[in-house]
Parts: sequence; structure tokens; C-alpha cells
Amino acid sequence: MTQAEIKLCSLLLQEHFGEIVEKIGVHLIRTGSQPLRVIAHDTGTSLDQVKKALCVLVQHNLVSYQVHKRGVVEYEAQCSRVLRMLRYPRYIYTTKTLYSDTGELIVEELLLNGKLTMSAVVKKVADRLTETMEDGKTMDYAEVSNTFVRLADTHFVQRCPSVPTTENSDPGPPPPAPTLVINEKDMYLVPKLSLIGKGKRRRSSDEDAAGEPKAKRPKYTTDNKEPIPDDGIYWQANLDRFHQHFRDQAIVSAVANRMDQTSSEIVRTMLRMSEITTSSSAPFTQPLSSNEIFRSLPVGYNISKQVLDQYLTLLADDPLEFVGKSGDSGGGMYVINLHKALASLATATLESVVQERFGSRCARIFRLVLQKKHIEQKQVEDFAMIPAKEAKDMLYKMLSENFMSLQEIPKTPDHAPSRTFYLYTVNILSAARMLLHRCYKSIANLIERRQFETKENKLDASEIQVDETIFLLESYIECTMKRQ
Amino acid sequence: MKGSDNQEKLVYQIIEDAGNKGIWSRDIRYKSNLPLTEINKILKNLESKKLIKAVKSVAASKKKVYMLYNLQPDRSVTGGAWYSDQDFESEFVEVLNQQCFKFLQSKAETARESKQNPMIQRNSSFASSHEVWKYICELGISKVELSMEDIETILNTLIYDGKVEMTIIAAKEGTVGSVDGHMKLYRAVNPIIPPTGLVRAPCGLCPVFDDCHEGGEISPSNCIYMTEWLEF
Repeated sequence: MTQAEIKLCSLLLQEHFGEIVEKIGVHLIRTGSQPLRVIAHDTGTSLDQVKKALCVLVQHNLVSYQVHKRGVVEYEAQCSRVLRMLRYPRYIYTTKTLYSDTGELIVEELLLNGKLTMSAVVKKVADRLTETMEDGKTMDYAEVSNTFVRLADTHFVQRCPSVPTTENSDPGPPPPAPTLVINEKDMYLVPKLSLIGKGKRRRSSDEDAAGEPKAKRPKYTTDNKEPIPDDGIYWQANLDRFHQHFRDQAIVSAVANRMDQTSSEIVRTMLRMSEITTSSSAPFTQPLSSNEIFRSLPVGYNISKQVLDQYLTLLADDPLEFVGKSGDSGGGMYVINLHKALASLATATLESVVQERFGSRCARIFRLVLQKKHIEQKQVEDFAMIPAKEAKDMLYKMLSENFMSLQEIPKTPDHAPSRTFYLYTVNILSAARMLLHRCYKSIANLIERRQFETKENKLDASEIQVDETIFLLESYIECTMKRQ
Repeated sequence: MKGSDNQEKLVYQIIEDAGNKGIWSRDIRYKSNLPLTEINKILKNLESKKLIKAVKSVAASKKKVYMLYNLQPDRSVTGGAWYSDQDFESEFVEVLNQQCFKFLQSKAETARESKQNPMIQRNSSFASSHEVWKYICELGISKVELSMEDIETILNTLIYDGKVEMTIIAAKEGTVGSVDGHMKLYRAVNPIIPPTGLVRAPCGLCPVFDDCHEGGEISPSNCIYMTEWLEF
């Protein structure tokens, strides 16, 4: 974990959970996995507080635990998971676009609480939605459950690993920490619940008749007494699935920019069909035949089969190489080349950063070196049609910022500089890592600046002053009115 | 050429053999085995008799190559159409660059608006290098005669700008513009992503990024770039 990432994690933990959790979390990220007592000793906090902080972190899936031999339980923080907290608003917004307000609130509750049972989620969401609806209308539990089931079917929420049910009654002492397992098949299985009920409003509105509160109160108490039918089955938001969705969106918009709207719709259909069948790290999607794609096109896009075939051929022949043809059965089998698509998008991001930072001539040189893989300085001047002095200057600037690197090819065994070829080359992976690190540091800077602005802006002081003026004026007016 | 002795004749022969690429004085010395002072005297003599001339090479501006008086220097010496008097003509290249791009862009626009089936649309948005060459010649913005290879180097710079893509198709020998049985086609394209998010924040473009940390002279709290950026 680089310094910038640790700083960003500490800022995020502090904003969301407070000082103590931040201290424990950052300590764990820095030092790796440690047992409970060592954490308490190293950070100088009391055992009680450490336990509470770890509870919060485990609930939100930020810290995992493991039982080692000799019965010691060690806790380990997942730094990458903490950084995902930056994306919570984006996850919520995506669900809103796909499943409207109900889905948005479900995912929001799951992200804010870490893990929840289905019945708890449904109840909370129904209550929140009922408050925003007009008087007299309430949100039915069934509707919320339906949306929940749909979210589970498309893998946006998944079950948390749970304690395995042991059939044989083991008389030995229970282990210090349970090992959680989850069956692959059960991860998206929604338990059969019959949640009947409607959302309830909070009793803060003055229009409630006196009779109603009494009727509501007994309902509340009976609800608490009933055992929750799905106790022990907790659900969490499936972040990998959201990332897959973002990746698909990026690919579709790239195709729309390069070609036209219809091609991007075709690519979107293909990606939607392979959402569940392809794992997120596979290089290619499953081959899809042209007939299947034709059947799955969204309604309202009435293009004929031949036109679809032409579009598919065009997509497969395009120099972008996002779509490839893998066979001829079923009217042509097509795959989407995910690795190549991501590499092209990363390269385009690098090029755009070079263009904004150094200028469009530098961007020309950068793309030239990318295409030719290894190129000498003299050739750079010839191909890019840029005067020699400027070309040299730009190459050195990019070299110093680590966007490019030099490859030496010696002519003689003694590597004399005058008799060595120096070739410029771009290593996309290392340039991308460097840029990612810079992004993390930039976000940390922006968060710090925002905190600084809200602290320094002294809004509280001026608000109090304005309030005083209002009070004076109001009392003067009251006085004057009374006199008259 | 009477009045010149054998040595002069030898030097003249060597220079003639070099053709229109010219030959450097050191190479003349190697080939003729004459001492440097002799060579210099002979060269001055020949120049005054207007039999040879010296041309400055564009690769190394101090080097002078000698060739026969009435020969046109080769492109590798003068740099071809892009150099005039040893100066790289950047503006000329820029103007050509923009003209070619406009031509390809308008071709792609008309193809897109025709709204026929996609295959025809795509094929009509392509332009071969020959067509672009003809268009530029007709525009008449160039004083120097430009060949098709010159236009192709300009189109290559457009490819490196990310504005144009190229495909090579097989073409019959004899169709206009084909070279060795294949033709190069060019097409204007849009970039695949808009300017990325990092560069919209001041940190993405900051020149002192590496020196910035909390509590230092340069820090996020007193960053002048951020203050300007927040001033909207």
C-alpha cells in the first residue's frame, strides 16, 4: 500500500466512521494482519474500544479475520475495499437508473449498514418510501421484495458467507472465531419469505387523528415480538458486479463515439446477454450467435437481419478490435474482446492526460511511440513532422514524467554511449500504475481542501450574526405592533 | 577542360560519380588519396570555373556536400518539400495537415448523412491517398510540387494525432492510385473517450504535484490553482 493510498484510506475512514475507527483501520492497513491484543497494545487504545472499532469494520466488510493454528485469531484490513467507499454514490446512482427509487434505496441501505437481512431491508425501504409518497398512500412490502429479488437475480446483491450448519453434534469447545463458508450456488438464492405488510409513516405529522396512533402502537410491538423468519441470512452489495456494469458502460460509450448509435446498442445487447454467464476477469465473453443477438435486441429497434449482420461484420473488422468473429455457425459467432477493450480505454486515458498536460504535439509524439513500439529519436522527428529541437524537448519532458522509457541496444560490448542505440518506448502497464497513484493522491488533496474550506469558511459565525439581526428586527416589529 | 591537371580531373570524376546526392570533402579525400590542402585548392578552382557547387545538407548543417553544377540536389540532402533553405516549414505542414483533415471530415459527414445501409456508409466515408493528393493539388496552397508519398506522410501525422484511421485494401494493378497491388484508405474518426476525469481537477495538470503535501509550503489547503478553480 503506497503512502498516498494509506492517506486516502485514513481520510475516508475518518469521514465515515470517526477518529477511533480510523486509527485502528489505518494501523491494520499499515501493519498487515494482527491479533486483537497486539492492536490494542500498539495503538494505545483500550481493549473495549478496539473491539467496538473492529466490530464496525467487520460489519462493513472492511476487515476480515482468520483463525490460525494455536487458536489465535488475526485481523486483516482490505485496503482496496476501503478505497471502494469512494464509489458508493456511483453505485447508488447506477441502481437508481436501472431499478428506480426502490432499488436505489435498497442498495443505499445495504451500503450504509454493511450487512442486513432481507426482511430488515424491505421494512426500512418501505418505511422510507412511504414517507416520500403522498398522504394516504403506502408502499407495499411485496413491491420492495420484488425489486430485491430482481437485484439478486442480476447478481447486484449477494449473500454473505455464513456459519455452516454442523450436522454432527461436536461436543468439543467452539472455535474462537467461526469460519464462514458460502456455497457458490446459494449466493443469489432468495429465501422464500412471505413478507406481508405496508410501509409505515413516522408519527410526526400533525394530521394523524388521535385514533390512529393507538392503532399503530400495538402493531409495532407485535412486530418486534415475532421471530424474523430469515434470521442469519445476511445480504451485502456485490461490488464486483457493479464494476462489471461500469466496464460495460465504458465499452458501449466508446463504441458509440467511434461508430454510431446502432452499433453501440448491438454491443450493449451482447454484453447484457453475457452478464451472468461470463466471469468478470475473463478475456472474452461467451460466443454469441447472430441469431441470438437478433432475438435479444431491445423492442423498438427494428432493423432487419441483414442490416444486423452487416453491422456485426463492420464491428468485427474495425481496427478497434472490440468484437471478434469466432465461428460461422448460427449465422456467425461473435465474441467481445474484453481485455483488448480495456487496454484501448486505458491507452486512450493515457493519451488524453498527455494531451491535456503537455499539448497536442506531445500527444502526437506519444501516439507515434505507442504505435511503433520502439523508435529512435531521429525517426520521431521524421514521422511526426515536428522540428528537431521541439521534438527533443518534448521527448525529454515525457521521459522525466515517466510516461516513456528508454531501451538501450549496445553495438559494442562496452556499452559506450556514442555507439549505442537508444530507443524510446511506452510501457502501458507501468504508466497506468503511475497515473493511478497520482489519481489517489489527487483525491486525497481534494478531500483535504474541502475539509479546509468548510472549516475556514466561518459560516457558523456569520449565521449567528444574521440570526441576531433577525431577532432584533422581529422584536422591534412586535413591540411597534403592540403599541399601536 | 584544358588547364586542369590530372588531379582536378580525378576529383571532378569522383564528384560526377556521386550523382545528385553529392559527396563530402572527406570522402573525396579517401577516394582520391590526395592531401587535404590539395583537395581544398582543387575544389575552390572547380567552383570558380562553375563546374561544381556546394549544397548545405539539412541533416548536419555544418556539412557541405559537393555536386555537379547543373544537377538538382536529391531530397535527402535538401529535406524535400518540407524544407525551404534548411528551415523546417512547420506552418506549411500545419496548413496541409488541417486541409487534409477537413477534407476527410466532410467526406465522413456526407457519408453519415446519406443514411444508407451501414456497409455503403462506411465505404463511402473512406478516401484513398490518391483522392486526397488530387484535392490538395487542386487547392493550390503549395508552391512546391507534392508527390503522393508526401501526402501520405502528412496523413500519417493525422493518424498519430488520433483523428484519422487507415486501412489497406488489395487493389488491382492499374486502378488509379494503387501501389504494388494495394491501396491505402483513410477515414476521419472521433476519439473514443472524452477528456478523462483526472485532468478536470487542478491536481491532474499541476506542475508541482510531487512537492505537495499537507503542512508543507505547497499543500492542498493553500493551493493557488485550487483557489482559482473554485472561483467559478
